Amino acid sequence: MDFTVYLMDTLVFMAIFAILSMSLNVEYGYTGLGNFGKVAFFLCGAYTYAIALLLGVPFYVSFVLSAVTSAILGGLMSLPALRLREDYLAIVTLAIGEVLRIFVKAEEWLTGGVWGITVPSVFANLGLSVDAVAFANVLLSWGVLIAVFLFLRYLTNTPYGRVLLSIREDDTAVQALGKNPILYKAQAFMIGSAIAGIAGALFAQYMRFIDPYMFLPMVTFTVWMMLILGGTANHYGAVVGALIVEIFNRGSRIAKDYLDLPFDPHNIQFILFGVLIILLLLYRPYGLFREKPLKTGVEAEVIKWQSSSSTK
Amino acid sequence: MIDIWQVLVNSLVTASIYLLAGIGLTLTIALSRFANFSYAELITLGAYCGLFFLATKDGNIFLAIILAFFVVGLVSVVSYSAVFKPLEERKTSLIHLMVASIALGFVLRYSIGEIWGWSVLFYQTVWTVHTIGSVRITSLWIMMILTAFIVALCLHYFLTRTKMGKAIRAIACNPALASITGINKQKVIFLVWFCGAGLAAVAGVFRAADTRLSPMMGWELILPIFATVILGGIGNFYGLIVAALIIGLVENFGVAMLLKLGLSTEYRMALVFLILIAVLIIRPKGLAR
Repeated sequence: MDFTVYLMDTLVFMAIFAILSMSLNVEYGYTGLGNFGKVAFFLCGAYTYAIALLLGVPFYVSFVLSAVTSAILGGLMSLPALRLREDYLAIVTLAIGEVLRIFVKAEEWLTGGVWGITVPSVFANLGLSVDAVAFANVLLSWGVLIAVFLFLRYLTNTPYGRVLLSIREDDTAVQALGKNPILYKAQAFMIGSAIAGIAGALFAQYMRFIDPYMFLPMVTFTVWMMLILGGTANHYGAVVGALIVEIFNRGSRIAKDYLDLPFDPHNIQFILFGVLIILLLLYRPYGLFREKPLKTGVEAEVIKWQSSSSTK
Repeated sequence: MIDIWQVLVNSLVTASIYLLAGIGLTLTIALSRFANFSYAELITLGAYCGLFFLATKDGNIFLAIILAFFVVGLVSVVSYSAVFKPLEERKTSLIHLMVASIALGFVLRYSIGEIWGWSVLFYQTVWTVHTIGSVRITSLWIMMILTAFIVALCLHYFLTRTKMGKAIRAIACNPALASITGINKQKVIFLVWFCGAGLAAVAGVFRAADTRLSPMMGWELILPIFATVILGGIGNFYGLIVAALIIGLVENFGVAMLLKLGLSTEYRMALVFLILIAVLIIRPKGLAR
């Protein structure tokens, strides 16, 4: 493949996975919910986008629709699941992801089953060259990434974000202060799901073809790997983790195609990832980027007040 | 037309796999209190060990099963002392323990993929088919059902009559109190990780002999096994037996029903997952008490 196209392809995938990683960060990093069914919302977003577009809905509406349906799915799922203990929550979300994939695989009339859906490209009838389409995709996905990043950075710095953080630390204390943790957890779940849905829509729009085999539980684990590597409860960590894992993915694929090795680099890559995650959890459980202390603006006031009172 | 007896036999076969693989899982969750996803790969590893020993030991399946039991048990104990024990000592959260178990699963799965390749393999052994009335049953199936039955009986005896078995139940019930009464917790945990994984390996060999081998086979089994374990109630051995039978029946009658209703048999697993979700929501304790 042409080098620039390949580079742009890498960039698009980086952006999509960084968005997924940030969405998991809202759920796990900030609110402490172990969602092992991330791929379900990715799938939901991708298929909603594809089906809506085929029904003649404009693409920007389809993007919004995929976020909305994923959020609704997240909300429905959270109703029963969030009352469970965290290990049960993990198993339930994993199982729901599989149920959804089985549904997509079985209901051919709606989703094309194992034959998948071909999605019309947004940039198809603009008369652009291959390079230009790839570049437009990079702009689109990185634009969405930056928007999501700014939104989440804003969200987690508001009083609302601090409620989420306090739920992660101690939800009984939150309840004692008159907030309903279940409600907040469900909202965090819906926000995370909506963002994952947008990532799914971007994926479908970029790939122009989706089938159930693209949405194996492996996607969920890749996102977890990115988040644990980059660092939980830190937006930079979530993005950087996604970039690093994606670079390794590409590296092993290039090594497989162009180097004559006695072993399969793809296997070795996952073995190394497994070992790396275990070592990280043992020796650096907070990942590459540590969680930052909260910036509330009150501290500055306190310091100002202290210094002014001491000079008096 | 559905042949009830054939479906019942098929259910028993499925149930014996889930029972054998579930024993270790339910006991380790009861003792260590986290869901160990790398169990899936221990099942796979058992199946591939079976393949290896069948090829080297002139196709004697009993010898292959016993050797697979010990190899996988050893791998499990090593993984516990190298990964999970240090993590537990560092007071790692439940979710991080689960992520670590998934990461360990990657290491095992892709190592298997590297050694034996990703294409589907089969055991070379041919099983004689017996026909009783309209029911078709292979000698392998008889062996599977008998093994599950004998293991269940032995385990019943072990858990209720021996000191070690009582120690396991004591730790599962109240770890602090068990330590005070002088039970060596580490020894018990090592034994459970060893024997539990060994039984999972046996289930893997049976599954591979019955169907096929692939590095993903354990992963395809792990969710129904979790469903069985949770339906039976974590750490509850008798609940597990009943749950294995229920899940086996649901899966096999489900397939028959789906065929009759003209729906895709893909939903077979979905049925099991729906039971899992329903149990967790309505009665997270499972069948216990």
